[in-house]
Amino acid sequence: MALLLDSSIRMWVVLPIVFITFFVGIIRHYVTQLLHSDKKVDLEQVSDSQVLLRSRILRENGKYIPRQSFAMRKHYFNNAETGFFKKVKRKVIPKNPMTDTSMLTDMMKGNLTNVLPMILIGGWINWAFSGFVITKVPFPLTLRFKPMLQRGIELLSLDASWVSSASWYFLNVFGLRSMYSLILGQDNAADQSRIMQDQMTGAAMAMPPDPNKAFKSEWEALEIVEHKWALENVEEELMSRDLNFGTFFSQDIKSTMF
Amino acid sequence: MASVSELYDVGWEEMRDKLRKWREDNCRNSEQIVDVGEELISEHGSKLGDDIWIIYEQVMIAALDCSRDDLALTCLQELRKQFPDSHRVKRLSGMRLEALERYDEANKHYDAILQDDPTNTAARKRKISILKAQGKSAEAIRELNEYLEQFVGDQEAWHELSELYINEHDYGKAAFCLEELMMTNPHNHLYCEQYAEVKYTQGGLENLELSRKYFAQALRLNNRNMRALFGLYMLAGRGTKENKCSVKAVEEMLESMQITMS
Repeated sequence: MALLLDSSIRMWVVLPIVFITFFVGIIRHYVTQLLHSDKKVDLEQVSDSQVLLRSRILRENGKYIPRQSFAMRKHYFNNAETGFFKKVKRKVIPKNPMTDTSMLTDMMKGNLTNVLPMILIGGWINWAFSGFVITKVPFPLTLRFKPMLQRGIELLSLDASWVSSASWYFLNVFGLRSMYSLILGQDNAADQSRIMQDQMTGAAMAMPPDPNKAFKSEWEALEIVEHKWALENVEEELMSRDLNFGTFFSQDIKSTMF
Repeated sequence: MASVSELYDVGWEEMRDKLRKWREDNCRNSEQIVDVGEELISEHGSKLGDDIWIIYEQVMIAALDCSRDDLALTCLQELRKQFPDSHRVKRLSGMRLEALERYDEANKHYDAILQDDPTNTAARKRKISILKAQGKSAEAIRELNEYLEQFVGDQEAWHELSELYINEHDYGKAAFCLEELMMTNPHNHLYCEQYAEVKYTQGGLENLELSRKYFAQALRLNNRNMRALFGLYMLAGRGTKENKCSVKAVEEMLESMQITMS
């Protein structure tokens, strides 16, 4: 079904929505930076995270050090009485989001800067640009999408591919993400979809508040690791090939600055 | 004296890029940095924009290395004006005091930083290097051990500790430090080679065997490592049983010597 749209729609609706979304995103990024408060790091937390890292490295790369050294370190971590993971118990204060002031303010700030503008502007666009279709998405959609994408247009026979301005707005919000990373650099606060992703995975990884659990899981992982020395046959491997000195010393190394 | 840009016929952008490259590679060619940086700051300061602050830091540290206190002071003053409350700048002024051998004042500076921010690793490390500069190596080792108990992942510190132990001839502990480094950087041939040398120095049949293996590993990772080749040659020479390793190592050594002489 081919509809011919007024070209003034393109000029006065499509482009303005793109600009509005874009500039609101940039403003959001700067506002977030202004409101951003420095996170105070706890010495113990830093220390714990590094210890866990060291234990993980021991598991992964332990095969490069001699067997005895590996055993020594494993013993240090895992020994039944004096091992680090067995002995060290950190006091864990469960961080209640309602009473912990810093987390509460962070959450509020996050909501304010991200969700609120989206709702406001989405609503305004819906009100201001209602009653007509904006564009056609290039792929066919089923009829179920009609009430979602065609707000304000009550035409039963209209193809679901023709969408209204609100859906164009949402399309922009997600589509301009790569533009933001181009202009503002990676890791910018205007990136809404990433924030939503973080909110979803944040529930899954609550590690920092509970080092004890992390220690326990690390202890288990270290218990089962075996030491398979990578240097068992290194000499034979080295001898089996030529050292290939060939062209190494044929030129002078330039030692000037530029 | 001709300026750097005249001598090498380069523009200010190339000088800036060269400084950046040195910064990223962590080179310690202080005289070159001072030459290039000084000219860049004085002639082209306005064109650098915000890059100038990190260049000030880089040039200041290089100036301290070359005893150019005047240049160091100017850089420090500019940085202080721009970032009045910064711990990073405080650390730099502490370093300047260290260079002037006013160690007590420098210590006070670092203690002030640490009171404000106990997790600041830079200030702690500077305090340890003050001890090292004063020749108090036993205390430096003790402090460094305490530092490493808390910040187990700091590779620079492990390497420094291994050096201190080697100076004290405590090869067992130096080997431990190098093992940490080898674990975190398994493909770095330099750590393997240093470890092998420490094991060789320790002596004893087991250590010599280990040493031979690690020299071989260093060569496998990078076959240009002359020290590793030499180490392998030395060990192969004293092997009690004749094996392929010793003969081949001697051959390779002679071949490389021929090439270097030609």
